[in-house]
Amino acid sequence: MPQVDGAVENLLSEVLQVPASTITENMAMKDVAAWDSLRHMELIVSLEQFFGIELSFDEIVAMQSVGEIKRVLRERGTVS
Amino acid sequence: MELRGKKIIVTGGVRGLGRAMVDKLTATGAAVTVFDLNREGLDELQRQSGVKCVVCDVSDYQQVVSATSHYHDAFGAADVLINNAGILYSEPLIKITASGVARHDAAMWNKVLASDLSSVFYMTSCIVDKMITTRTRGVIVNISSISASGNAGQSAYSAAKAGVNALTAVWAKELSPMGIRVLAIAPGFTETDSTKEAVAETTLRETIKRVPLRRLGRPDEIAEGVLSAIRNDFFNGKVMELDGGLIV
Repeated sequence: MPQVDGAVENLLSEVLQVPASTITENMAMKDVAAWDSLRHMELIVSLEQFFGIELSFDEIVAMQSVGEIKRVLRERGTVS
Repeated sequence: MELRGKKIIVTGGVRGLGRAMVDKLTATGAAVTVFDLNREGLDELQRQSGVKCVVCDVSDYQQVVSATSHYHDAFGAADVLINNAGILYSEPLIKITASGVARHDAAMWNKVLASDLSSVFYMTSCIVDKMITTRTRGVIVNISSISASGNAGQSAYSAAKAGVNALTAVWAKELSPMGIRVLAIAPGFTETDSTKEAVAETTLRETIKRVPLRRLGRPDEIAEGVLSAIRNDFFNGKVMELDGGLIV
């Protein structure tokens, strides 16, 4: 079972082109200019491919911050 | 994409190329719905082929919002949208007449842009909205034209179709990560009533001489191209030209 901590930061780092070390639990879409809706779609596809899941639209909409992304992934039970 | 059972919307499907697409698609077992503003034509189409029909002027945003909303309530997200509706219109930018110089009709410019370009934007935004929220991996097919590269005497039509090609590229980049392919088919001169109405017979005869295959395309050949593009899951973001080898 993939580890959610670290994986989310790494994927977000690749999508937003920022160092993984700068990504915090509180980092949210609304606070990061580069995290626009197109980048959000890229992130969703990256998460789906990495974790081997398909997210619902409601889950995609809920994933507005690093913390929320991890919460949704844990609720899906595909990560630890 | 396998077509059998798929929910497919064809705009402007009452006659011409659209009708040829409807006939081929229904033969595959797809669930076809036609959006068209020709109410009488829709009635006849429904009697003849049994496809679902929706009266809608796709160049009118409010009508599109309402019609697609009803469609989604009844059938859910569409799998395929074929943006075929439009008008073929020819007029030079400047006409030199016995009474002087006449400019391209501005009202016709607006009408062609609304029918051939804005309609594509309206329909696609409404249909893709539902595809995204239901995570439907669909296909958007835009019917362009070889005139997109600039055909003398067709300012509005060429500009609209060039816009359609641009939207095809933009949307493929935006939507494909979510599993939605966007592509275009660009017919050359084809044997349809629209062609006969918009292009002078002498012009058409001269055009045929420039087509390496020395003939016009047939609607069923264009429709076959559309089906092929939908079926091919790796065809995306590009324009397939079906023109008998003609270069405008």
